[in-house]
Amino acid sequence: MAEQELVLKIKDLVVHYETDDADVHAVNGIDISIGKKRTLGLVGETGAGKTTTALSILNLVPNPPGVIKQGEIYLDGMNVLEMSSEELQKMRGNEVAMIFQDPMTALNPVMTVGDQIAESIELHQHISKKDAFEKAKEMLKMVGIAETRATDYPHQFSGGMKQRVVIAIALTCNPKLLIADEPTTALDVTIQAQVLELMKELISQKEMSMLLITHDLGVVAEVCEDVAVMYAGRIVEKGTADDVFNHMRHPYTEGLFESLPNLKERGEMLVPIQGLMPDPSELPPGCAFSPRCPYATEACSQQIPKLESVEGSETHFVACRAYEDPKFTLGRNRNGQ
Amino acid sequence: MDSYSTKHVKSRTLFQETWRRLVKNKGAMIGMGFLIFLILAALLSPFIFNYETDVIGQNMSDRLMGPCATHWFGTDEYGRDLFARVIYGARYSLAIGVGSVTIGLVVGTVLGSLAGFYGGPVDSLIMRAIDIFYSIPNILTAVVIVSLLGTSTVNLMIALAFSCASSFSRIVRASVMTIRDQEYVESSYAMGLPTWKIIAKHILPNCLSPIIVQITLLIGSTIISASSLSFLGIGVPAPAPEWGALLSAGRGHIRDASYMCVIPGLAIMFTVLALNLLGDGLRDALDPKMKK
Amino acid sequence: MANNTILEVQNLTKFFNTPGGQLHAVDGVSFTIERGKTLGIVGESGCGKSTTGRTILKLIEPTSGKVIFDGQDITGYTRKQMRPLRQEMQMVFQDPFSSLDPRQTVMQLISEPIIEHKLLKNKKDIEKRTLELMETVGLAERYINVYPHELDGGRRQRIGIARALAVQPKLIVCDEPVSALDVSIQAQILNLLKQLQQDMGLTYIFITHDLSVVKYFSDDIAVMYLGQMVEKAPSDLLFQNPVHPYTKALLSAIPLPVVGKEKPKRQLIRGEITSPVNLPDECRFRKRCECAQECCKNGNPHLREIEPSHFVACSCV
Repeated sequence: MAEQELVLKIKDLVVHYETDDADVHAVNGIDISIGKKRTLGLVGETGAGKTTTALSILNLVPNPPGVIKQGEIYLDGMNVLEMSSEELQKMRGNEVAMIFQDPMTALNPVMTVGDQIAESIELHQHISKKDAFEKAKEMLKMVGIAETRATDYPHQFSGGMKQRVVIAIALTCNPKLLIADEPTTALDVTIQAQVLELMKELISQKEMSMLLITHDLGVVAEVCEDVAVMYAGRIVEKGTADDVFNHMRHPYTEGLFESLPNLKERGEMLVPIQGLMPDPSELPPGCAFSPRCPYATEACSQQIPKLESVEGSETHFVACRAYEDPKFTLGRNRNGQ
Repeated sequence: MDSYSTKHVKSRTLFQETWRRLVKNKGAMIGMGFLIFLILAALLSPFIFNYETDVIGQNMSDRLMGPCATHWFGTDEYGRDLFARVIYGARYSLAIGVGSVTIGLVVGTVLGSLAGFYGGPVDSLIMRAIDIFYSIPNILTAVVIVSLLGTSTVNLMIALAFSCASSFSRIVRASVMTIRDQEYVESSYAMGLPTWKIIAKHILPNCLSPIIVQITLLIGSTIISASSLSFLGIGVPAPAPEWGALLSAGRGHIRDASYMCVIPGLAIMFTVLALNLLGDGLRDALDPKMKK
Repeated sequence: MANNTILEVQNLTKFFNTPGGQLHAVDGVSFTIERGKTLGIVGESGCGKSTTGRTILKLIEPTSGKVIFDGQDITGYTRKQMRPLRQEMQMVFQDPFSSLDPRQTVMQLISEPIIEHKLLKNKKDIEKRTLELMETVGLAERYINVYPHELDGGRRQRIGIARALAVQPKLIVCDEPVSALDVSIQAQILNLLKQLQQDMGLTYIFITHDLSVVKYFSDDIAVMYLGQMVEKAPSDLLFQNPVHPYTKALLSAIPLPVVGKEKPKRQLIRGEITSPVNLPDECRFRKRCECAQECCKNGNPHLREIEPSHFVACSCV
């Protein structure tokens, strides 16, 4: 993929949280890029560093205690980390917008929903209040809410409706990149299905790119074309959805799939990943997954594996030393599942 | 399963955690240092000074001497050494402060936890009664009570305890109401614990943080109230060297011997400041979320 | 047969009075559970599943209906009368962060029910039993003096389970026990619960919004919508042949972690759950239902047996 076609390119990003007690290594050198009109799913468990990555893109990592130690983040060719605060402000909303997990706290409770959308339009497009409000109504319609509800307050909306409003606000300025941090985690399944459907539709209609952060592999399968699996601040595997879901290479990815109850028959025991995610302030030397990995060897705990491309594929990358042995395959792949 | 974890288990009690954070707060440490000094002074003063001769014994030949080498803080109109009187006075101020806050704490905690836990009519009854008390100025309530019971140190404590009780009951009620709805309280019901045990064992200990902060802050404001009452002449009876009474005695000489007002005034100010610094420090230390 | 039934719930109802009118949290729910089995109660937020669980344990007083536990009608029992029964029926809570008293150590937390019910008196015995329970739920001995805030969600949930097991109950109501946990930890806890059921012959009521979890876990599944059961069937049957339109929609709404392979077509349901306050006398799902007909407006349908042990509340089937 040519450089200029990338909407987002993150190079070797390292973010630490430096508190009095410990130096928390939240993100430890990740490389991600998202092409035009592509959606990347960033998958991982609590504490993997997903949200920190997203906040870094907007240069919103709370400082202190958060410090971006090194790395470059290019949004549409411009380095975010070198922007002035005015440039940043302009970029947020115009070039990139973010949706957070909890729609309940993302809206101002004392402003009508229409005014909140209009405010964001006014801010970025410099049009009159009245025009902005008219446009806000259109946005509401776009996300499937009746125009007449523009004068209602957030507490008059349900969780799913609020998330729709949040999406409307995020999309007001046609950003090139939408970052969605667990956008449907707080919603019920049937509502989640509706919101995902809506997001998919809008993304393709507006020709946007999206970074979707989630812990739910089902949501990724539903929405994303590309997938990056994150563990303890590093990308352990990335590729197209087909690469990761159907030809997975990393033991952690395998573990995630094995832990899911929905594919299993009733009565069988699940195969959970043993142990816990390491404390990000005391990461083990070598591969962070090695203490939990069923395939780990002595060598794994000594050197951090590099993200290397999988043989015969241009899109698929994995960070696992086991592949130094050309005969190695995951148990799941061996059984031909 | 746990053998996979390499994490070292370090256990700190909440007390240790709080202490560690408190030590980092300079203001709180200065406040605490001053208070420790004051408490030591109050405790040791009977051994340093003879109450009969040094503190209340009159010595007309030395009257109204300014601060000098023999009388560090000067003397008053009866020739009594102000240094001895101010240091001895710390006993009264601290005793009244601690005493009334303790009475208020006991009464307020009981009322507040009943109101917060049961809610409904119990809550309305207790809280409306407290609202009524709250709407009367503290000093006025105290004046009435002292007038009814007579002036004495104990009666002054009781009088001041009223306002402490109402502020404690409000704070306890608010915390109890939040904690009552926590799942661990429901879990104790599911466990079969009787109600009183749930309140005593699970609810009140978790309200401790705001209570501790309130204790320090209230001791400060009670010392001021006690001094005000003594200043008005209905506090600790003369010739006891309560700080407010010292201030009142100096009033007549504010032009010619201003140190008589300034020194007890500073004593009150520094004590209350120290308590407030400590209280604020405790608040931050007990609730780390408050600070960033 | 009757002897094998551990819990019978008849027409259980819980209304809350709100300023807007009567809130039908649970509205006429009936079911029975046999010893050693698991009933999964599934539904979305606000469907009354948690209230049902809490009413059975009498943590909430029912408005009407009957709860018969082990042959005893406990509906009218006072808190005091319930106390000995707390040894028989226990609960595992959803949020491992708020369901443990932050000021107690693991030892105090787990031993509390043992001391409270005077199961053991000697201090040494209590400690021994606590360690035993910790081992049962997979907590290392070195955590015994640790406070819950120093542990992760999975370990905290293990403490919650150990507390419930301490009194050797027959029935445990699990209220979304894994929904606050990460997938890999979820699987650990689910396996643990399953293992415990096999070892101790426990009966579970498993309340969750996640159909994939109940499928893995339950013998029978009941789907709830707005305070009522809309479908109830043995697990396999329900997944093979869901009949109620809501069950179908719920099943198809789960995003499957499958890429590039044949996936069943999604059936989205429109709208959102209606308010449970002042409900009209019609099928509660009518406004969102794809196949709603005129007859759905006439009265609220009751559960009917459409095939052996498969119950559905829908006028259209």
